[in-house]
Amino acid sequence: MPSSPISNSSQSWFQRLEPFLMLVPAGLWLFLLLILPTLLIFQLSLVPGIKPGDLVNPSSLENYFKIFEPSVLWIILRSIGISIVTTLLCLILGFPVAYWIALLAPKRWQNLLLLAFVLPLWTSSLLRAYAWISILRPTGVLNTILMTLHLPTLDVMNQLPAVLIGMTYSFLPYMVLILYSSLEKLDRRLLEAAADLGAPPKDVFMNVTVPQALPGIAAGVLLVFINAIGDFINPELLGGPSSMTAARLLYGKFLGASPDWGMGSALSALLIMLVTLAIVCLIKYGDKNARSI
Amino acid sequence: MDSELFSPKPRSRRQLLKMATSGAFGLGLSQILSGCGWRLGNVRSGQSNTSSPNELFLYTWAQYVDDELFKDFRDVTGLRTIRELFDSNEKMMAALQAGKGQEFSVLYPSEYFIPKLVKADLLAELDHDRVQGLDNLMPQFRQSMADLDNHYGVPFSWGTTGLIYNREKIPEGIEDWDYLWRNKQKLTRKMTLLDDSREVLGCALKSLNYSVNETNPDRIKKAYEKLITLKPHIASFTTDGWRTQLAAGDLWIAMGYSSDAIGLLKENPKLRYIVPKPGASRWSDWIVIPKSAPNPNAAYQWINYLLKPDVAANVSQRLAVTTPNANAIPLLTQELQRNTVSYPTADVMARCESMTALTDEAEKLYDKYWTQLTS
Repeated sequence: MPSSPISNSSQSWFQRLEPFLMLVPAGLWLFLLLILPTLLIFQLSLVPGIKPGDLVNPSSLENYFKIFEPSVLWIILRSIGISIVTTLLCLILGFPVAYWIALLAPKRWQNLLLLAFVLPLWTSSLLRAYAWISILRPTGVLNTILMTLHLPTLDVMNQLPAVLIGMTYSFLPYMVLILYSSLEKLDRRLLEAAADLGAPPKDVFMNVTVPQALPGIAAGVLLVFINAIGDFINPELLGGPSSMTAARLLYGKFLGASPDWGMGSALSALLIMLVTLAIVCLIKYGDKNARSI
Repeated sequence: MDSELFSPKPRSRRQLLKMATSGAFGLGLSQILSGCGWRLGNVRSGQSNTSSPNELFLYTWAQYVDDELFKDFRDVTGLRTIRELFDSNEKMMAALQAGKGQEFSVLYPSEYFIPKLVKADLLAELDHDRVQGLDNLMPQFRQSMADLDNHYGVPFSWGTTGLIYNREKIPEGIEDWDYLWRNKQKLTRKMTLLDDSREVLGCALKSLNYSVNETNPDRIKKAYEKLITLKPHIASFTTDGWRTQLAAGDLWIAMGYSSDAIGLLKENPKLRYIVPKPGASRWSDWIVIPKSAPNPNAAYQWINYLLKPDVAANVSQRLAVTTPNANAIPLLTQELQRNTVSYPTADVMARCESMTALTDEAEKLYDKYWTQLTS
């Protein structure tokens, strides 16, 4: 059907703009609620000792120097350490579960099993932390069971292991969900081909399954790490006297007894940069590995 | 511009969009580039049209009001009461500075926090001609350091900060703060301190016979160094996480507020509460009127209502708060009057010191030592 040159050109003009027009709502949302606040945080972080009502006048890097005091630096390092261990625990525990649900469990049970895994997320994280107190305290549920079985009891409450248990429990569902969606798309013909060609199960897993699941692993690791570094409920309720983390410190700088919004902003700017760096690394290296198969 | 964004008034979608874009470009880009311009958390005072004259909007702690109180108040004054809750003074102030001050006519800050609100120019002075019943108050709350002569508000409740302990585990009882240091080996990971820089450094300062409001850097340092020796033996710094563990006997001692102890001791006869020697801090929560209150008339009616001895007695009996209203105490049940957790004896009262705002320098010092202590 012949079309007039005018309608044709207007159509192509619209077609060229269409992708941008479709991006406008989400773009505006992202700009107003993500990019703009982040820029404001960076701006605030450059004002030393700002108090509400003060003029925001970026003038020095003093707030950043405060972060490099040994005690604050130590808190940040501890947070990163706790988050890395939590992420690894979630990966080690989550991968077999996700693998089982995606590949081995009967198809009709899959949705129910996933639901069961997400179920704990429906309760408040505060409530879950209190539940762990009841379980882990010296005469709690866990130790009562261990004692009845004449096994040695665990003394982990108000110590680092309790924080790791609470955090791993909190973020495991995220890891399982993401790994599941990645493993579900696994090309099973490749697994069969590898087995047919004589690869032992260990090699099939390392060379065929893992590389295919790598983007999912990267996404899961990232999600858990970011959540873990922002968690302050588990360290506060399950940790001991040295359980101060960057997130707790950050909270205190804004809503604690002696607020320092400038330093709080510097600290959150640093955390934003840290997480951004982690994302950049994962996109760069995670993708390269995925492509090399 | 920033306070515009937080305004509670409903706006049309077009206005919102216009505001959002102008906001984005107005305070975002151009000013980040030019590096000046906006103010952090501007508060606009003045009348707001969101509240009707028959309504009283309160901003308070959860345990200080209930529906029965609102109903009784309505029966007397015809005013409908609406509440919003906060769980820390700092959160309340942040909400005020985000423009919420135009909604509330009554706030319940802690005593030590009042000078901060005054300094930020958020409070209206109390017009004593419109308040009836100030002479009902205990004298120490009329001469409070933070609010001399009830210039800004009236006290609603008070209490002490002390130690709650398990009598079965510590049959000999506790007398003083130094008990913790003397028995630290035995008490290792069996005690918690509050997650609060002022209270924790305050108890160490008191144990050294200094003031809880100490500003002398050497003395604050001494208190910090004393706490460092106790730290390896502390289970945790926590304000709420100790309850189940103390009741179960996993913890033996928890530093806590008398208001927490009242309910716990009733449920669990094994527990005891003491105000350790040589002294501890005394806290109180007050009723004040913000400068931007939409309905100050209703606020005065609320204050006058709660200052009546029979109302104060009723409220403190029902909500288990300790009243500063001296004329209300004889109206309480004998059992409550004799309860030394709620109403400590005169000599215990004498060794308690009210916590007040610090100088900026001292506050920074407390914060520095607190970060070091908890890191």
